[in-house]
Amino acid sequence: MSFKIAVVADGETVTGFALAGVLETHVHVNKEETLAKLDELFASKEVGVVIITHRVAEALGSEFRRRVRVKKLLPAVLRIPDKTGWVPRVDELQEIIRRTVGAEITVKEGG
Amino acid sequence: MAKAVGITPTRMELLRLRQRVALAQKGHDLLREKMDALVIEFFGIVRRIRDARVKAMRRLEAAYHALSLCFALQGTIETHQAAREARKELVVDISTRHVMGILVPVFDVRPIERHALARGYSLYATSSALDEASREFEKVLGGLLKLAELEEGARVIALELEKTKRRVNALKYVILPGLKAMVKFISMRLDEMERENFSRLKRIKAMLEARE
Repeated sequence: MSFKIAVVADGETVTGFALAGVLETHVHVNKEETLAKLDELFASKEVGVVIITHRVAEALGSEFRRRVRVKKLLPAVLRIPDKTGWVPRVDELQEIIRRTVGAEITVKEGG
Repeated sequence: MAKAVGITPTRMELLRLRQRVALAQKGHDLLREKMDALVIEFFGIVRRIRDARVKAMRRLEAAYHALSLCFALQGTIETHQAAREARKELVVDISTRHVMGILVPVFDVRPIERHALARGYSLYATSSALDEASREFEKVLGGLLKLAELEEGARVIALELEKTKRRVNALKYVILPGLKAMVKFISMRLDEMERENFSRLKRIKAMLEARE
């Protein structure tokens, strides 16, 4: 089945992905609008991937993390750095590994 | 022996309990195997994520670079305009696969580079920097989709792993010891009853013999 790709990010990042032909884009302006948009995207049966920048994800904070935790299998959520290359210090995947396996394993390397 | 309070020490109960112990043991072994399989799968995915991430992030950097150049060379408004005009048609085929009974998404990632004419913006009014930026972002998307697939898979498997681990531990440290304690309590009690009976019989026999 075919699914749409969605990008939630700052204006410039969205512009880049729109040039590549991404169907659903949302420019992050304020928390309420972006969260409403995310709810819509997560509820949609047509969206397969939501790409969001680390900076926006961080700005949304715990409310974003809660939504990711309770969402269904699709859409998949992928966090990417924006053009400044900023990534949060705690890597989400590493956190999952630490919790499940009980050991520190580095996945990072510029991610 | 606080756990063994509410049970009746009968042979029936003992048999039933032994069956439950065997079942719990079997369940525990099966879950352990499932957990091992999940761990192997999980670390396979983690290794692939590591490689995919490095690659995708390098691409992404190049794409941002190209986009910044485009903003500079062509102007912000024109670039935004072109992005609005660009044909939005990108879809991704997603199916699922089973790993130890859990659903993991599989993305069918095909190269999504388009011909400059197929992008939908006017070639006349735009510069080659825009083509470059578009191409870079199309290239980057393939890697990002692969990464999204892997990360989602890792997330799902990790959740299942956590659940399985909790179940294995519950069986191993709570349910099995409890059942075993009950089995022990009943068999002790039954033995005790047998001894009581034995001495009672002896006593009765002695009394009968004394009467004769």
